[in-house]
Amino acid sequence: MRKLFAIAAMAAMAVFAAPAAGWSAETPERGGTLRYGTVTEVSSLDPHIYVGSAWKVLIEALYSTLVGFNQEAELVPELAESWEQPDARSVVFTLREGVTFHDGTPLTAADVKFSLERIQNPDTGATLRPNLEGATITVVDDRTIKIEKPQPNATLMSVLALPEASIVSRQWMGGNPNVKAQANGSGPFMLEDYEPAVKATLVRNPDYFVEGQPYLDGVDFRMIKNHDARVNALRTGAVDMIDFVPWKDIDALGRVSGLVVESAGGAFMNLWFNATKAPFDDPRVRKAFAFAIDREAISKAAFFGHGTPLYGPPTTPDSPFFQEDLVETFRFDPEKAKALLAEAGHPDGLDIEFGVYQGLAIYTTTAQIVQANLKEVGIDATIKLLEWANVVEKKNSGNYDVMVYGVSVKLPDPDAYSYYFGAESTYWANPIGFRDAQLEELLAKGRALTDEAERVAVYRQVEERLLEISPWVFINWREQAQAYRKNVRGYKQLGGALSESSPGIALPQLWIQ
Amino acid sequence: MVKFLGRRLAASAFMIAIAATIVFFSIHLLPGDPVLILLGEQGAADAEVVARLRAQLNLDAPLHRQYLDWIGGLFSGDLGQSLQTGLPVAEEVLRRIPRSLELIVAGLIFATLLGIPMGVVAARRRTAPAGLAVSAVAVAGFSAPVFVTGILLVIVFSLWLGVLPSSGYVAFGDDPLGHLAAGLMPALTIGINFMGVVTRMTRASLTEVLRRDFVRAARARGLSHRAAIRRHALPNALVPVVAILGVRAGNLLGGMVIIEALFDWPGLSSLLVSACFARDYPMIQGALLAIFVLFALISLMADLIQSLIDPRMRTGR
Repeated sequence: MRKLFAIAAMAAMAVFAAPAAGWSAETPERGGTLRYGTVTEVSSLDPHIYVGSAWKVLIEALYSTLVGFNQEAELVPELAESWEQPDARSVVFTLREGVTFHDGTPLTAADVKFSLERIQNPDTGATLRPNLEGATITVVDDRTIKIEKPQPNATLMSVLALPEASIVSRQWMGGNPNVKAQANGSGPFMLEDYEPAVKATLVRNPDYFVEGQPYLDGVDFRMIKNHDARVNALRTGAVDMIDFVPWKDIDALGRVSGLVVESAGGAFMNLWFNATKAPFDDPRVRKAFAFAIDREAISKAAFFGHGTPLYGPPTTPDSPFFQEDLVETFRFDPEKAKALLAEAGHPDGLDIEFGVYQGLAIYTTTAQIVQANLKEVGIDATIKLLEWANVVEKKNSGNYDVMVYGVSVKLPDPDAYSYYFGAESTYWANPIGFRDAQLEELLAKGRALTDEAERVAVYRQVEERLLEISPWVFINWREQAQAYRKNVRGYKQLGGALSESSPGIALPQLWIQ
Repeated sequence: MVKFLGRRLAASAFMIAIAATIVFFSIHLLPGDPVLILLGEQGAADAEVVARLRAQLNLDAPLHRQYLDWIGGLFSGDLGQSLQTGLPVAEEVLRRIPRSLELIVAGLIFATLLGIPMGVVAARRRTAPAGLAVSAVAVAGFSAPVFVTGILLVIVFSLWLGVLPSSGYVAFGDDPLGHLAAGLMPALTIGINFMGVVTRMTRASLTEVLRRDFVRAARARGLSHRAAIRRHALPNALVPVVAILGVRAGNLLGGMVIIEALFDWPGLSSLLVSACFARDYPMIQGALLAIFVLFALISLMADLIQSLIDPRMRTGR
């Protein structure tokens, strides 16, 4: 591969001589270190427990998965070179030959089995445990592994492509390493130095299974939580790339010559209800909230124009599951909100309390506008500012009435709805005891189908049901922006569930001009 | 002197023990569960998983048992393991201490070197333009919030002039010059604030001392005004300055959050704050213990310096 590039570059020079500079410059060059400033203070490198967006990037750099996504958002082989589906419940993977972990031990099917079973083990507390529940993992031979789900399941491949399904070395894990602070994967980069919440130094893996990649010699991660410090580090050239550009700075940074800002909708803001507790157990009350909120104002004030109102379900227009006619469902209509409240038996309005994470302006500003909007329809809302630990505790214990909550799309598949609303999901539904029989049935149906056209029809019904009962009020998409210096080449920002993964997906192909 | 030191050390040890105990029990009163935070947004509501992890981390033991375990560990230098990272708390705390101390010490040196002469000028020429100018600088120095001073420095030296890195920590071993360049602005931010305090205190205290009889006596013996200030008035005037600097420097150990965030400097304060947000009990205890010990040492040093300046303090007369 490397040779190929060299030949291509030489050919380009020979044929075009001087005018070809611009073109031949696009041939990736080997070498250089990317300095990356990230908002997340990564405290653990355990590849099976998600702890934030920078964690995703680090884990994708250090570890590999059976399959992955490329920069066109297509499912591609990684550790598995091929696979076949003998029936709708199972997949048989054939592993790539000659892959080694960073410590030199070869990858075998036993490592895959060990990794997936570690995710299934409740003691691990793995993020994807619910997605792999009940799956049987069988080693067929050293290079062949079979995964069998109890029911047909269309989401398995997308689940296995997530960094949360990274493959670890069974032998290495047997030595009981502190996986929170050490890493031994088969990814494009190896961990050289790591200080929790401060920095991670990665060096090129010379034995990476993609010939010629990665192009970079290394990656220096700096965890710069302070937004101004992170932006200034990019402006002054102390880092080459930053994530989570503060919304107020997206336009300003875009005007700086020498910098590129790329954004995509990757997360959406919501009002979460405790939908089993009066008065929020009445869908009419929840829909009153949905009509009362001025999403346009929130997108402008809280996101400086870098948010897109979400009057319908959270499916992006580029998805095959997108339903054009649902997008206007909850257009701003205070009168309708009042009518719904009256119909639900609250003609004089309501007094409510809602919890808001205090650490980010996008949350607090959103909350203030929501509060003003609710007042207009007779709902007196008291904002309760919470630090993150309280938010998580309230969410997980179900001890809240209404919360503002930002959600990143969890799966590149509409079954993400199960993750949010499925009765077993500990993410939202389970702690408050929410279960909607009709929704459950539809979600199970959608999961079990493999034909895309049939699935589209089912998920349309899922979304219609969701809007009808509105367990959450969807507020808006928030653009997640990355900014980098122009000499960083090969980056592509993806949307939806791959938004957070974009830097990780790009990393092996990134190069510095 | 030895007796004085011994007494002070014993008192400090006693105070640290009490403070550490109060902290141990009070942090458990904070709402928020470290186990739920560790498990993240997902998977935490499974009661069985939560219970197992709690047991793994020894958080299910009765509080007094955990306390005795912690005290037991202390004697062997073991502060436990961070719940978040699984790494030894002592290691992390020791890594952070020098980073905080170096900024504080550099700030103190800057403040003393500039603040004392400025205070003298301000005291001697209270109404002259020089005195007024010095006082104005001092007031601006200590009344401007540190983030304002810090941001101004960043704008001038990083964004405009491009001579200093806007943030970040560089280990001395990796790059000594880079280390100094990285630490300059945060140290200066502390220094400018301290300098204001030193100037104001020196001015106030010196003004008061200059009215005393012994200064007049020194002048009557034929000493110049300048010599009278240097040999007699200033040493007397500096006692309260040292005292207040000791307290301020001690406060900064855990109170530099804003400066550390602004300059992305991984010191003791940010460690403590992150640990609090994550409810990482062993880390909170370890970081606070370190802060208590250092605080005690700093005030001990302040006392020593005062007693060197003023012998009456040694003998307790």
